[in-house]
Amino acid sequence: MLGSSVSRIDGPLKVTGAATYGADFAPDGLVYGYVLTSTVGNATIRAMDVSAAESAPGVLAVYTPFAPLKLLAAAGPLGRMWLPLRDMEVGHHGQIIGLVVASTFEQARDAAMTVHVDYDVRPAVTSLVDAMPDAVIPPVTDGEPSVLTFLAEGVSSIEDALAASSHCVSATYSTPVQGHAAMEPHSTVARWDHGTMIVHTGTQGVDVVAADLAVTLGLDPSQVRVITPFVGGAFGGKVFTSAQTYLTAAAARELDRPVKVVLSREQTFSSTWVRSGTVQKVSLGADSDGTLNALAHDTWAARSALVELPGGEPSAHRTSRSWYASRNIAISHRLATLNMPPNAIMRGPGEATGSFALEVAMDELAVMLDMDPIELRMKNYATVYPGRNVPWSSKHLDECYSVGAERFGWHRRNPSPGATLDGDWYVGMGMATAVHPNFRSTTSAKITLRPDNMAEVSCSTGDLGTGMWTVLAMIGADSLELPLDRIEPHLGDSALPSAPLLGGSRGTANVTSAVHAAAIEIKRKLIDLAATHPLSPLRESPNIRYANGCLECGSQSLDFGALLRMVGSDGLDVVTSTGPGSEAQDYAFCTFGAQFCEVRVNRWTGEPRVSRLLSVIDAGQIINTKTARSQIVGGMIWGVSAALHEGLHLEPTGRLANGNLAEYLVPINADIKEAEVHFLTYPDHTHNPVGARGIGEVGIVGVAAAITNAIYNATSKRIRTLPITIESLL
Amino acid sequence: MRAFSLTAVPSVEDAVQRSRPGSAYLAGATTLVDLMKLEVLHPNDVVDINALPLRGITVSADGVRIGALERMSDVAAHPHIAAQYPVIAQALLRSASQQIRTMASIGGNLLQRTRCGYYRDVTTPCNKREPGSGCPALAGGNRMHAVLGTSKSCVATHASDLAVALIALDVSLRLYSDAGTRTVRLADFYLLPGETPDLEHDLRPGELITEVLVPPLDWASRSVYLKIRDRESYEFALCSAAVALDVRDGVIADARIALGGVGTVPWRMRAVEAALRGARAGEAAFVAAAEQAADGMKLLSDNGFKATLATRTIVRALLSLEV
Repeated sequence: MLGSSVSRIDGPLKVTGAATYGADFAPDGLVYGYVLTSTVGNATIRAMDVSAAESAPGVLAVYTPFAPLKLLAAAGPLGRMWLPLRDMEVGHHGQIIGLVVASTFEQARDAAMTVHVDYDVRPAVTSLVDAMPDAVIPPVTDGEPSVLTFLAEGVSSIEDALAASSHCVSATYSTPVQGHAAMEPHSTVARWDHGTMIVHTGTQGVDVVAADLAVTLGLDPSQVRVITPFVGGAFGGKVFTSAQTYLTAAAARELDRPVKVVLSREQTFSSTWVRSGTVQKVSLGADSDGTLNALAHDTWAARSALVELPGGEPSAHRTSRSWYASRNIAISHRLATLNMPPNAIMRGPGEATGSFALEVAMDELAVMLDMDPIELRMKNYATVYPGRNVPWSSKHLDECYSVGAERFGWHRRNPSPGATLDGDWYVGMGMATAVHPNFRSTTSAKITLRPDNMAEVSCSTGDLGTGMWTVLAMIGADSLELPLDRIEPHLGDSALPSAPLLGGSRGTANVTSAVHAAAIEIKRKLIDLAATHPLSPLRESPNIRYANGCLECGSQSLDFGALLRMVGSDGLDVVTSTGPGSEAQDYAFCTFGAQFCEVRVNRWTGEPRVSRLLSVIDAGQIINTKTARSQIVGGMIWGVSAALHEGLHLEPTGRLANGNLAEYLVPINADIKEAEVHFLTYPDHTHNPVGARGIGEVGIVGVAAAITNAIYNATSKRIRTLPITIESLL
Repeated sequence: MRAFSLTAVPSVEDAVQRSRPGSAYLAGATTLVDLMKLEVLHPNDVVDINALPLRGITVSADGVRIGALERMSDVAAHPHIAAQYPVIAQALLRSASQQIRTMASIGGNLLQRTRCGYYRDVTTPCNKREPGSGCPALAGGNRMHAVLGTSKSCVATHASDLAVALIALDVSLRLYSDAGTRTVRLADFYLLPGETPDLEHDLRPGELITEVLVPPLDWASRSVYLKIRDRESYEFALCSAAVALDVRDGVIADARIALGGVGTVPWRMRAVEAALRGARAGEAAFVAAAEQAADGMKLLSDNGFKATLATRTIVRALLSLEV
């Protein structure tokens, strides 16, 4: 079962429109909210004239900082979140500053249009480059100091190590602000049901939303339930509880009516979260044989003036922390404050942006050394995690390079840049490394065996479009030795046993490990029941064993449903928790990949087009090859998007110049030609009993660098700023 | 979107009678409804003209007459147009998406509004939307904006691909109003923004486009529409070229060239055409002639590349026709 290709069991629901996303819930008596957002980037609200809105048809309530909903500032599981309407300060353009609730969506929206806001406007700070001199060093990044230096004995500084290197490249790279642009806009439906708050909202963690709402609404955790069976894409943009969720829930309680709020497409860009832009300085010093002597990576990113959130884009420099064995490594990170939407997590936070700088710099070094880029990476292959001197639990990156080179036809790459023309198109190949960390988290799962011979597998995890419904059923089927159609998965409900937040590519590996452990437990419990229950036909039989859903003893065989019926049980269940053990101290855990790209650039008009992509991924045991491939391809396409299309432009006022899907470009089908994925499947049993590692993010990580390197190979133009658009290639 | 009345009318006369200040005609609805949702346009009365008898593509010695309500996809698929005017078919097929092309009418396509982000965002000033309020694009995000035909009031780019091809072919429009019918060259129909960017065309209140008249041009069978953009499809032009070439014995007898994505209106490149006439067809002549395209361009902070791109687009389009 594990590793096979299974179509999504929820596919028919999705293609027939029967899958219920957050905004699809429609409790009786539903009313509609529309959020008001600021139209300036940095200001204090002086006054808001809501008189027209309050008297508009159908309007039930208008909430503003002058007439707020009661929200308690308290820390939830991810820290203290920014809560709307608590003061008059505006920290970014598009900040939520009000909520209009009316009987229909149109009434709420039209009334919201009539609200007039007076601001005391201050100049907005919107340029990361301009704000860099004022950037500060956050004390901690990813659990370590934000400035880290590892020097070989006798070396006094990274500058000395660079100066002592025979070959040195040093350059500054930059990446733009990006929006998550998930297909499903942020939305919330909240119902106050006799003292219980029931919420439906697209989220990466129903448990997080439930806990956040409990503390901010002053409720007991048992009074909040979040139910979200389907999420239409999240990518980090639904990790934190959205501002509109707090308002929707508070309004539902105050009005004692179910309330629904759906952000407009433009608001999903301006009024949720973004990925910060980065400026990154990378210096590499090497011996003439390519051995890295010095690696320095200094990064600058932005945080929003509105709120400092945990997570975000602070870790681009950390790619250089562990990707290569260098005698000397120095990394640092600084944060500037901008009037921009809050900087949250986005697919490959740090890795996707950091690899762009590091992996392009490695390509530049390979050019300087006249060395094959793969050979340079193998020359500096890391076998222990620098500074910790522990090995990785399982690392086959070397094989990713060699298998990838073979499958992609890397030997056909012309090492001379700008020398290969096919008609009017320059053709080039590039590659890059992709690494993403893995996290083991405490995870609980429940298995219930039912008298009708079905098995329920339950966990509060979610399906962000990743295929978790199917994965949950597959791991249940595999570990209970049952066909897939005898498993009934349950997820996306905070009342279920607790699973970790779906971030950091931790969903599948952690959830499957918990189910695997629960299956061992339930089999033991079932055998015990068979051996001890007075009504069991196997009572006091020795050596009862479980196989394929049956209890077997000698020539006797009894399916678990029959046993449960005989003993009069309406179900046998177990809840099991698993989590990290001592291996966390002894090993580092990462998913690895080598990513290859072929580009074509028109010699007259300069447009870059990606003609071929390949990822070879080392992620341990793959659970569902079909959805896993889809995850990696999705990441690769986003990598194309990051390389060639995406960039949110902050105007001097703080307004997003292109915060909509007409102007914030992502690739369309015609832009993606060949995108191939090959998995190496070495189960990683050091990491967890199932042997799986995360695959959610690694697919994006190296693609922008691979494309940039391919463009250099095609055109001999070295681009260090994303996205790479026509004007830089004319 | 605000409340509005919707009335379907059966005839051109009824449509024109229905028209009054604050009303709008609705054909394919692919621009009007978008802009109503964005609050950019808020007609009180919407007059659905889809039932009007403005369909049909008629081929004669005088050229081709295209009914204004013909859909983009149908015109692109018409055998005579595909064979004799490939520049029209290609301009249509490189526009928008399949879904939009199936809905959008030819008349509506020619009246589509600019994609300038400030025009489409009612929280910002815009002289085209609110005369006198200002133009943030002059100093703001203007990468997609025009470099020809601009003014201090407006630098918004004309969005239609079809119009570029039709300007190259020097088509005319048949117009109907209660004052009667008239014919206007498309080249005279579009107005430069000047101080009044809210006035985009020579269409009188209530007047309807009833037909597009494409004159005969034998050598338009050797024509092409080349559209350069940030992604492969479903995106507006950074620069596009509608080019037709009449080559006899290796010598360019005549040429038609118009550019899109660079002008406040579709821009006929008469100087490039003149430079090509009489030259021996080939890369050297194409490059030399295309240099003329950059003359008179007013480049903005983010769109300076359009001067180079325009000349290169013309060269590439010409090379693609040189068989």
